[in-house]
Amino acid sequence: MIKGLYSAASAMVMNAARQQVLSHNIANLETPGFKQILTSVEDFMQNQSVYSTAQNLTGPVDYIGQMGLGSQLGPEFIDYSQGPLMNTGNLLDFAIQGDGMFQVKTPNGNLYTRDGRFTRDANNTLVTVEGYQVLNSTGQVIQLPTGDVGLAPDGTITVNGTTVTKLGFGVFTNPELELVHSQGNFFTGPAASTSKTVPQVVQGYLESSNANPTQLMTQLVEVSRSYEAAQKMVQNNDELLGKTIASLGRIG
Amino acid sequence: MYTSLFHTLNISRQDMISRLVDLDVTSNNLANFNTAGYKASRSNFQEILQQQSKEGTQLVSTQMLNTQGAMRDSTNPYDLAIQGEGFFSVTMPDGKVGYTRDGQFGLDASNNLVSASGYPLVWSGKILPGMTNFAISPEGNATATDATGKNVVLGQVSLTIFPNPTALTNKGDNIWLESVPSGKAQVGIPGAQNFGTIASYRVEQSNIELSQEMTRVISLQRSFSMSLKAFQQTDNMISQAINMRKA
Repeated sequence: MIKGLYSAASAMVMNAARQQVLSHNIANLETPGFKQILTSVEDFMQNQSVYSTAQNLTGPVDYIGQMGLGSQLGPEFIDYSQGPLMNTGNLLDFAIQGDGMFQVKTPNGNLYTRDGRFTRDANNTLVTVEGYQVLNSTGQVIQLPTGDVGLAPDGTITVNGTTVTKLGFGVFTNPELELVHSQGNFFTGPAASTSKTVPQVVQGYLESSNANPTQLMTQLVEVSRSYEAAQKMVQNNDELLGKTIASLGRIG
Repeated sequence: MYTSLFHTLNISRQDMISRLVDLDVTSNNLANFNTAGYKASRSNFQEILQQQSKEGTQLVSTQMLNTQGAMRDSTNPYDLAIQGEGFFSVTMPDGKVGYTRDGQFGLDASNNLVSASGYPLVWSGKILPGMTNFAISPEGNATATDATGKNVVLGQVSLTIFPNPTALTNKGDNIWLESVPSGKAQVGIPGAQNFGTIASYRVEQSNIELSQEMTRVISLQRSFSMSLKAFQQTDNMISQAINMRKA
């Protein structure tokens, strides 16, 4: 009975953790390039149940099956699917269609991102909204002279019609295994691409968050109800335990 | 993973504040739909995730969108519009130089060329009483006819550009100020590469895309309600945990 109490409680803890991930995804519904975080649930532990037929519980025991001891949060996954493109008309907003990621230089090393909100900084360097420098195809920082910026689908950047550089990309065959979500909207990954696919970029667009509002709301309902059910189970266990103590403890 | 429900409440709280800040910026854009030379602003929010702890979203920067606004004809010779990247320089009351795209100039009591907000334009010329036929070339050369009927050259109107105009500080009054991230102002003659040219009898309208801003308002409203739902639900979960023990 005590086991049941803890099993039910484990479900509450697990659903609280899912609620946090869902709130985080909702908070980033409007964050360009955001990739939603998916959760998984797994068995906490299976325990062998035994039963003794002897009167004083000392004899041989019979193995009567497995007993689950609740649930826990499994590994998290990132959904790398394409987010919808949104027109902004801003010449330094870039979006990737299909596979691939922009490569940027940060204090924590080179990271990958799908967030293409770029600007020039005070020294004409192409940077992200945080001020991280965007890297070109040879891993160098990009200097953009003043002028009208153009972008070819293969990532070639022109200023006033003259080719300046080409954007650097990381393309991965299996991003779920190769990339780690190490920082807000940024991923740590291998130094070089592992896929031969050539990314396609568009100018004046941003990739919206790929979190889906309908899906999120459905998941919210699901989490809410399973949390409630688990809470009711704790209460039931408590009631049973109370009755056991009250009636079995009575003498005479 | 740190999974306190109170932390989750905080994620949604921060999220709702973000949406309201974003809505402020969008409302300001909509309010300035009819302001000549006005440039749209955008607030940039970013996901926060530290040591695998999810913290929702935060504002990392606000940027101005320096796209060209549409041109409108006018009958005022002092209505100047810039086609291209540059800004007009005006002298602020505190003596600093402010930058604007609003070229609706006029003459004040002492014949100074002043902006719509009354700030004098920084240029090399001076309009004397009795002068007529004020005209300006695309390269910024101002000419007029003086009281004796003679054509005279008044002076030069220059333009200013910045390495990163999107990071100029919004002073209000349609005035932008130089900032550290915008880089140093570079003054140049209109018509030189990247500076743009000047057209008179023209007004540059705001670059606000009405449909885009309205869509933004709607989607912000929707995402705000979602954050609110998540917040209320987390609150409900905390309440259920507290009331677990029946009296």
